[in-house]
Amino acid sequence: RIMPVRWSRYNPSYLEPEVKKESYQKPLEELTEEEREQMELKAVRPIKAAPPTLSSSVFSDPMISKFTNMMMKSGNKVLARSLMSQTLEAIKRKQLEKYHKAPENEKETIECNPYVIFHQALKNCQPIIGLSNITKGGKTYQVPVPLTDNRKRFLAMKWLITECRENKHRRTMMPEKLSQELLLAFNNEGPVIKRKHVLHKMAEANRAYAHFRWW
Amino acid sequence: LRLICTTTTVQKKNVGASGPEKYTEAFIKKQIEEFNLGKRHLANMMGEDPETFTQEDIDRAIAYLFPSGLFDKQARPMMKHPTEVFPEQRKIQWGEDGRPFHFLFYTGKQSYYSLMHETYERFLNVQKHQDQLIAKDLPLQKEKRNLAGSRWLTKIELEEMLLEKLSDDDYLRFIQLLQKLVALPCADIEENYIQKFSKEVPVQLQKVVIEPLQYDERGVAFSTGEGKRKTARATAVVYDNGTGKITVNGTDILHYFPVLQDREQLLFPFQFLGRIGKHDMVCTVSGGGRSAQAGAIRLASAKALRSFVTEKEVEFMRQAGLLTVDPRVKERKKPGQEGSRRKFTWKKR
Repeated sequence: RIMPVRWSRYNPSYLEPEVKKESYQKPLEELTEEEREQMELKAVRPIKAAPPTLSSSVFSDPMISKFTNMMMKSGNKVLARSLMSQTLEAIKRKQLEKYHKAPENEKETIECNPYVIFHQALKNCQPIIGLSNITKGGKTYQVPVPLTDNRKRFLAMKWLITECRENKHRRTMMPEKLSQELLLAFNNEGPVIKRKHVLHKMAEANRAYAHFRWW
Repeated sequence: LRLICTTTTVQKKNVGASGPEKYTEAFIKKQIEEFNLGKRHLANMMGEDPETFTQEDIDRAIAYLFPSGLFDKQARPMMKHPTEVFPEQRKIQWGEDGRPFHFLFYTGKQSYYSLMHETYERFLNVQKHQDQLIAKDLPLQKEKRNLAGSRWLTKIELEEMLLEKLSDDDYLRFIQLLQKLVALPCADIEENYIQKFSKEVPVQLQKVVIEPLQYDERGVAFSTGEGKRKTARATAVVYDNGTGKITVNGTDILHYFPVLQDREQLLFPFQFLGRIGKHDMVCTVSGGGRSAQAGAIRLASAKALRSFVTEKEVEFMRQAGLLTVDPRVKERKKPGQEGSRRKFTWKKR
């Protein structure tokens, strides 16, 4: 069935491309029913072109690309990408410093991989429940509402970036500020985690209005 | 909400479903007789056999006898069978006493509602059959219909079938009912009925001809490919037995593409196939910007690599999105707006 898509240059029957090499090397027996159907569908339908930010190399990560796009201003992807790589480098440096200073028994607990730290920090920042404005009888109430995965990720990334842009000293560089925030979020400390807890408390306080939600 | 990319079936306008009846049956019959007579006369005039005179022959004969320089093909003289010229219309739905024939006439959309009733009846039928099988403890048939190769009728095709206007909601409900019917395990009983509403999608692969490898003077195998993205056009020549060197417009990629993202895009097809150090590439590119040129070269190299690789891997490349031309281009600026989307600043007074 053809659904009107808002101004996509592609025909709605085009499917998303699958870039990871591993998914093509699985033998037929290991696939579940749904995956088999998906495969058959892909063999018949046309597929969209892979966007320039997506690649099958080990270095391209969809979350990092999303975060870089959110940091970008006026289409300056080069600057955003360099800031991101400098942030990851700064995280690695700080963690290595800590690693070399720590005593033998604690060396294994220190995480040095900046990608792991980034993903874990994002996960720790994601709120579970959000608030939405619902107008009933003339008054607008803040109603607690479950959030989708995309929305959670978006909020976590947005909070990190706004926190770094606004609440820090003007002269510090973005990679420095970001690496500091990410390390704090990795350890469940810091202003972003506080903001998440504040949101959760507000949602708990407005529990009474939860029945206003109709979806 | 506007459909930008549509197939021709969606764009055809449905003339038959609207308007009151204009042509009586007798009139159309007379037209058919006249058409057949005229066909025989035309065959005689052209000196061909009247029995085996096909529609294509008629079109050619008319184009020869009445040459017309008009641009609009629909305005030129044509001689077609009356069923094509006069669209199918509904006969009068009520008898001489004014009583309608169909019991659902006063709903306004009698054929749509009768179709829904019939489909639901068959749905209940299948459920009853299923219950009977369960009562006898027989296994339910689990042969899944191949959904990938077929599509449901579009709204316009359904309107033509029912000779009645439908709304989007009506169409959606009908498709949902059909999907529910197909989802039942014993739906094979009603296979004939379902086939009336589904169409075969032509196999997408369109067997693109993969060119064989060419050999140059030194005996090294090579192959060429062309690619484009936005306004950039690129041609790539991929040589075998190479060291992984890539040259663009005479300069090395490290000098031509200082940004890491572009170089990653160039290496994407090679990395996907696992052939990074095995091929040499020489490309020429013009037009577009930095990212567009990288995308164009990526497409060109992927097309060139098809000749070096098995068919299965070509299919994997297609599913990874390496072989499709990216249709996204800069959207035009519209009058009354500042850019393609941005409107002028709204001033209250």
